[in-house]
Amino acid sequence: MKRLWRSMPLRLALVLVVLFGTVSLLSLAASYAFSRSAFEQSIRDDLAQDMAGFRAAPSARAVALLVQAESEETDPDRLVLSYVTPSGQIYGNGAVARDDEGFHIISLEEGRAELEGEYLALSERLYGGRLTIARSRAEIEALRPVFLNILWISLLPSVLIALSGGYILARRSQRHVEVIRGALERLTGGDLGARVQSGPRWSDDLVRIGTAVNGMAQAQERSVAALRQVSSDIAHDLKTPVQRVSVRLETLAGQVSGGEAADLVAQTRAEVAGISSVFTALLELAQVENGALKAQFAPVDLARLSRTMVEVYEPSAAEKDQALSFSGPEVVMVSGQKTLLGQMIANLLENALRHTPEGAVINVRLAQDAEGVTLEVSDNGPGIPAVEHDRVTQRLYRLEQSRNTPGNGLGLSLVDGVARLHGAVLSFEDAKPGLRVQLRFPAA
Amino acid sequence: MRILVIEDDATTGAYIARGLREEGHVVDLIADGRAGLVAATGGGHDVLIVDRMLPGVDGLTLVKTLRGAGSTAPVLFLTAMGSVEDRIGGLNAGGDDYLVKPFAFGELSARVAALGRRPQAVEQETVMQAGDLSLDLLTRKVTRAGDEIDLLPREFALLEFLLRRKGRVQTRTMLLEGVWDLSFDPMTNVVETHVSRLRAKIDKPYPTELIKTVRGAGYRIDG
Repeated sequence: MKRLWRSMPLRLALVLVVLFGTVSLLSLAASYAFSRSAFEQSIRDDLAQDMAGFRAAPSARAVALLVQAESEETDPDRLVLSYVTPSGQIYGNGAVARDDEGFHIISLEEGRAELEGEYLALSERLYGGRLTIARSRAEIEALRPVFLNILWISLLPSVLIALSGGYILARRSQRHVEVIRGALERLTGGDLGARVQSGPRWSDDLVRIGTAVNGMAQAQERSVAALRQVSSDIAHDLKTPVQRVSVRLETLAGQVSGGEAADLVAQTRAEVAGISSVFTALLELAQVENGALKAQFAPVDLARLSRTMVEVYEPSAAEKDQALSFSGPEVVMVSGQKTLLGQMIANLLENALRHTPEGAVINVRLAQDAEGVTLEVSDNGPGIPAVEHDRVTQRLYRLEQSRNTPGNGLGLSLVDGVARLHGAVLSFEDAKPGLRVQLRFPAA
Repeated sequence: MRILVIEDDATTGAYIARGLREEGHVVDLIADGRAGLVAATGGGHDVLIVDRMLPGVDGLTLVKTLRGAGSTAPVLFLTAMGSVEDRIGGLNAGGDDYLVKPFAFGELSARVAALGRRPQAVEQETVMQAGDLSLDLLTRKVTRAGDEIDLLPREFALLEFLLRRKGRVQTRTMLLEGVWDLSFDPMTNVVETHVSRLRAKIDKPYPTELIKTVRGAGYRIDG
């Protein structure tokens, strides 16, 4: 909901509602003011006309009689007529009094109560007396509730429509944005076949973004395909000569018997094997990183695989007096590619065996909980300095302290690549002392 | 055996052909995919060795076509890539085994021998023997010169695997695949350590060595 609140269409709807409301209010206020002044002017005109009518009377006596006659039929709440003769007698349906607060109109009925409401009055001396005509402003005041009603009736539905329209649009665009986000997430995860599938109800700008994302993905896919082609071409073009060298060395090895020449041949063969292993590792890494192997995933028992790996490496550990053990449940199933997972565990074990001294203790621990599966390889060797934790997975990167141990600097890159392919997270911790390598697989 | 080698690199092809001929096989060497397919459909070969990348028709398509046409001759793929995807792709296309370049001839020879014998490899003996050593699958007892030898389960499995393929070289990768069901590329000599442990129990105390090391290839038990 909070995210919906922050979405573009809803924000736009809100801004429009505020803008529309302000403009409606201003124009209603203006027409209210205009109507009021027009009404007032018309009352003034009426008063002037009334006055002119009385002025036409020939004498004070005639004015008094006219006022008397007319006021009989007039409601003082609407129109008040008052004539004070020169002798001080009052005719009409009201009288004008004055005190500190201003003028008041008083009823001439019993009780002489003050009349409520506002009046507009015109007063003039006529034949020695004073004629006052006052018309009620009630009609003008009646405009206020009318305008307030207009305000409610016109504004409320538009606000409601704008808000619910905004909400619906926001929900829809949120769904569409979610589709784009999902496609981008899959692309980031290495699934370069992911595309944004836009629908007929999509807005043009989102369709354009979707098309752009698809274009980008397609370009990416093409360049990855080109890269794969290049790397397999390189593999073929360079591994064939390496194969020839190795073939000739093998033939040569059969022809020299002992001595310095045989040593040289043996050393050269080892070098060629090293070159070949770097090639194979780099190609393997390239294939793991492009994510296409996900299609080969099947259920793998990680517990069984880990146990077998520990068993395979146990005699190698024993030769260096190292203790290698496994702890974990009988069966832990993950979805993955068995050969790659095996190679990953092998690389971790070889690292641990290689970089710890004689007598070291190495443990492979497997655990499963609601959040997923954790595979840990820990040792009590020298460990890796914390600042190097991020760097050790870089290709061909080697720690200063292990420059002289065998290895090609690709082992942990492949571990990282295989982990990513399986959606697992690789992390390094200080086991105090030693190194703890942790792989967290998400729950299936 | 009569072996068809389809390999476009002349040096590698000649090397394979010469090596196999020296072992007494009859070898047909062809450098082009299309001609290779024609030769293979002619039949009469016990094993085919096919490079993944070939001019004309590539190795995968060649084997798929052959399998489609009903050919059951075992196929060993040679690949320059050597990664999981290629391996799976090759095996899915109908290949029986694969070998990553560069390879040692010993490895190729051992795998060709294994492929050529595949149909007969189902032997149902319960007691296997080599010299004065015998292994009983039912009682899981190993004796040599009358002494009972105590083996760990995996040592027993390793000895059984070698005995079942008596007289044939088993390479390190073949042992990893066969005994542990693992296909990965170990940087260290893991297989050697297992073999030397087994040797310490069944060979060291006795005058003759049963498990022979074949240089550049692997291990073999002779009967």
